[in-house]
Amino acid sequence: MTSLQSTLGDEPGIAEELADNQRAISIAEFFEKNKHMLGFDSGARGLVTAVKEAVDNALDAAEEASILPDIYVEIQEADDYYRLIVEDNGPGLTKESLPKVFGKLLYGSRFHAREQARGQQGIGISAAVLYAQLTSGKPAKITSRTQGASQAEYFELIVDTDENEPEISVEEATTWDRPHGTRIELEMEANMRARGQLHDYIKHTAVVNPHARLELREPNAHFKFERATDQLPAETEEIRPHPHGVELGTVIKMLAATDSHSVSGFLQEEFTRVGKKTADSIIDEFRDRYFGREMAWTPPETHETADVAAAVEDATANKGAQATTDFAEGIAETVSNRERIAHHQLETIVDNVADNVGDEYGVTFGSTVRENALEAAWDAIIGAAETEAGEAADTEGADTGPDDGTDSRLVADLYRLSDEATSTRKDDEVVHAFAVRLAATFEDLEDRRHRLTAKALEKAVGRAADLTEEYDDVAFGETARENVREAIWSVMVTVPDDPPLVRELADSRDATSDLVDGMRATNIMAPPTRCLSPITDELIEAGLKKEYDADFYAAATRDAEVSGGDPFIVEAGIAYGGDLPAEGSVDVLRFANRVPLVYQRGACATTDVVKDIGWRNYGLDQPGGSGLPNGPAVIMIHVASTNVPFTSESKDAVANVPEIEDEIELAVREASRELKRYLNKRRSMQKRRQKQNVLGKILPEMAEKVAEVMDREEPDIDDAIARIMNNVLVEREVEENGESAAVRLVVENHSSTGESPEITDIVSAEPQNLSDGASAVEVDGEWFISWSPEVPGGEEVALEYEVTSETTFDVDVKGIEAEKLTVTDQ
Amino acid sequence: MSTDTNADAREQLIDLAAQFYDQFQLGEIPSMEVPTRSKTNIELDEEANVWVYGDRTSTRSANSVRGARKLLKAVYTIEFLANQLEQDRSSTLRELYYLSESWDNTEAHFNDQDESNQLIEDLEIVSEVTREDFHMRPEESGATIMGPLHLREQTRRGDREIHCQEDVGEGGYQIPNNPDTIEFLDTDAEFVLCVETGGMRDRLVENGFDDDYGALVVHLKGQPARATRRITKRLHDELDLPVTVFTDADPWSYRIFGSVAYGSIKSAHLSEYLATPQAEFIGIQPADIIEYDLPTDPLTDSDINALENELTDPRFQTDYWEEQIELQLEIEKKAEQQALAARGLDFVTDEYLPTRLEEMGVV
Repeated sequence: MTSLQSTLGDEPGIAEELADNQRAISIAEFFEKNKHMLGFDSGARGLVTAVKEAVDNALDAAEEASILPDIYVEIQEADDYYRLIVEDNGPGLTKESLPKVFGKLLYGSRFHAREQARGQQGIGISAAVLYAQLTSGKPAKITSRTQGASQAEYFELIVDTDENEPEISVEEATTWDRPHGTRIELEMEANMRARGQLHDYIKHTAVVNPHARLELREPNAHFKFERATDQLPAETEEIRPHPHGVELGTVIKMLAATDSHSVSGFLQEEFTRVGKKTADSIIDEFRDRYFGREMAWTPPETHETADVAAAVEDATANKGAQATTDFAEGIAETVSNRERIAHHQLETIVDNVADNVGDEYGVTFGSTVRENALEAAWDAIIGAAETEAGEAADTEGADTGPDDGTDSRLVADLYRLSDEATSTRKDDEVVHAFAVRLAATFEDLEDRRHRLTAKALEKAVGRAADLTEEYDDVAFGETARENVREAIWSVMVTVPDDPPLVRELADSRDATSDLVDGMRATNIMAPPTRCLSPITDELIEAGLKKEYDADFYAAATRDAEVSGGDPFIVEAGIAYGGDLPAEGSVDVLRFANRVPLVYQRGACATTDVVKDIGWRNYGLDQPGGSGLPNGPAVIMIHVASTNVPFTSESKDAVANVPEIEDEIELAVREASRELKRYLNKRRSMQKRRQKQNVLGKILPEMAEKVAEVMDREEPDIDDAIARIMNNVLVEREVEENGESAAVRLVVENHSSTGESPEITDIVSAEPQNLSDGASAVEVDGEWFISWSPEVPGGEEVALEYEVTSETTFDVDVKGIEAEKLTVTDQ
Repeated sequence: MSTDTNADAREQLIDLAAQFYDQFQLGEIPSMEVPTRSKTNIELDEEANVWVYGDRTSTRSANSVRGARKLLKAVYTIEFLANQLEQDRSSTLRELYYLSESWDNTEAHFNDQDESNQLIEDLEIVSEVTREDFHMRPEESGATIMGPLHLREQTRRGDREIHCQEDVGEGGYQIPNNPDTIEFLDTDAEFVLCVETGGMRDRLVENGFDDDYGALVVHLKGQPARATRRITKRLHDELDLPVTVFTDADPWSYRIFGSVAYGSIKSAHLSEYLATPQAEFIGIQPADIIEYDLPTDPLTDSDINALENELTDPRFQTDYWEEQIELQLEIEKKAEQQALAARGLDFVTDEYLPTRLEEMGVV
């Protein structure tokens, strides 16, 4: 066969032939070929992803029904395959919706909702079903029982990949021991190579869902993760979209669907945080883009030749001399009182003056009269009357020196604006030449109202600047152009034209684009955060405590912020010490909307932020001063958002969005500051303990030796030690008085800060005459004296009481670190 | 060696221990205060014209682990010294260092000899008893005297009368550790000449300088030991002999003169007992380097540093020393005593010393 080119003409059927081969691809088919996009790229990973999707679904289902989740995951070996079973105690699914939830891709309640939820696309669990059927050829076995139903429904189904519809093979009623919930059983080609990730996923899920009970049974192991709280996460509320977070296509769809007629109504109705005032601001921004702004010129001053009054008077006929003069002067006066005036403003003035003068003289200024007057006055203001005379001489570009002395009004006005806006280093003549060229654009405008959009103005300024560069051989740089543009744009005024109606907008892609741009440009309050449900710092700590046996926990929840119209909250937690492994770098637990992110750690914004923090400052070892810190610590980060930006559809890593990264950093730093305080304190306590250990050995030996040299009894060194250690010393002095004994329990505070210890003195006989607000309670023949003195630094306080002699004592001191306390009780 | 001195010294030590004991009893932190031993804390005692410690003090306190260890060692050392005095025995500083190893408490062992030496100095200062009275002595420094001096020394084997020319060999009379056991009987000497190096001492003796000029040649052996300085002072005070010092022309040698004349920084508490403020520097002076065109070495960086340090050392703030040191910094050279040999072996005894002594009005 020869080349395709030569046969094209001969065989008209080839296009049709090719077209025959083209057909729609079902979403399910697409998945089949692109499993990796959804996290099913290998058998090891497929199992983890399937567990993840099923558990996420189960948690969402239970929480939506305000049920504390109780989730059971089992993985069995079944011949050549693995069988995955996930059971929840959620509300169950109705007979109608169940097949679609599991057997139809992109079916879900969440995709359109602006609300924090684990799953969003409605792909996850059905993708798992599809993966199972593709690898094992077996259907998914699903049991579900709704609350109060007498029995459960049992289905066996597969996804029809051509139609993206569930294909049910078995449907029957069955019995199930759970009162309500859903159970799914999938058989798939898989392996347990990713067991580590699976455990991470389950364990991390337990950390961020302290209200959930999780159980994982594997062929050779069994794990239980108990609840740490009975408090369900705060319920989220769906919110309308925020104007800053919508795309053009979405707005076109919304325009088509709305019941509103006016744009203002549409904005207020369909978006969050938009009221009348904000809608007006958006519409003004829209007008500037859609209609453009009108140039406002300075009105002529008295010494100028341009005479508004004369022009109007000339243009007005048949209204009586006095009325005409009053009309003309009224307009001229009002105009001259203004700093600048645009066409529509002049129109309003003409109308007002016409009405007033008309009322006064009993004449009517009809629309033609008004139009004529408006045109005449406008021509006077923009100097169109004079230029007509010298039009032949004044052509663009050529001889436009400032010398000819007869600058038009527009040139003079634009020269002033440009001169102020450009640097002083620019030659007056250059700026003048530029102003002349820019004025020409306005003069040549078809729209005599001098309306320009920002874009058109940019073009006009650019053209004038280019010409100036070309003819005057000077530089007119980007900064100068921008400054001139801004100076002119800021004196131009928004027009009062009514925006198009919603239905007109809906048909015009360009107009809608102007509206979206307008929405972006308007300052709008951040979206409400009731659509978010942060874990809260307390529960983060509880979650970490539950799963990690550490010495110290801290957590921080930031306030909500906005990124691209989606509100988000970042939370961070840290666990340190205890049983956490001290070798190697710390673990970073990443979560998005309470879902653990297990794969692609290196591609995640959270990891990047943690690596960039100088951890040495917070007391963690960081080789080289950057990268993941080393030490016995776990750092957890949770990003909650109505739309978490992921790097890919498999939702493994948070994308590097600057606003989110900033918040992650602040949250981690906030929690780390507490860690730093703890570590500093621990270090100083450690030093104190070491010092105490050494001194506790040396000083008694020194005392012993001194006594030996002196040949005297050993001196009492407790006070000296307490003083050296800046310690709090609790000492008992007992003075026997025959039958009775006077007891003094002295607290000496040798440190520089105040202490408030809680002291319990257990006495074998009833104490009398207790001092200092202490109270005694008898329990089984022993008296418990509770005493909580405040002891300022460097001072001492004493508890006094009397007992019978031969009483025994036992004192217990709380509220002071053991390192700082010396108790001598003989 | 009277038992009186022993008892006194012992009492002083026990008093120190008693101070710690009382501090413990009062619930105070045991501590011991000693003058700060640095260049910035010495001042001229106008009356005695020697340099003594100023008002600044350092505290050795049990407040820190280091301080507590120091005090523990102090108590052990006090016990050891008290026992030694009671038994009228003596030991060397080095022996004390090794002896600490035998103490049952490992915390009380000295880490190095500097530490034990320093502690002895501390105890000396606080108890106001000299090391010699604790019966602590340094290793023999080997310093000697050669010249027309007749003396009596109390030795453990009885009194010996010795003439420092007739009864000794070429090496001269060896100065004992505690020169206060010496009684001067008679002398024909005109002056005392302290010499830094052994080579120069031997040259002077070989040339018969001691005989010819009536000189008591004291060999300093570098930085002089306490005993050498003490006997020099006694020769001056008791026999009314002028004292001259003959060293190399470099900053380290000026310090040797400084410690003979003004007292050393480390033992400023004993300056009144050891220093001879009337001692005069013969040379070699930087001016002599120029005058006699002596062979020289260039100054090293540390030499320059040392010279500049001396300019700020209160002991060297006299017109004479400032002039000499600045001159040396200018010529950037130093010379040894033996450099005089460049002009003949007899030059030093025939020419240099007689000229200098005459200039200084000693002979």
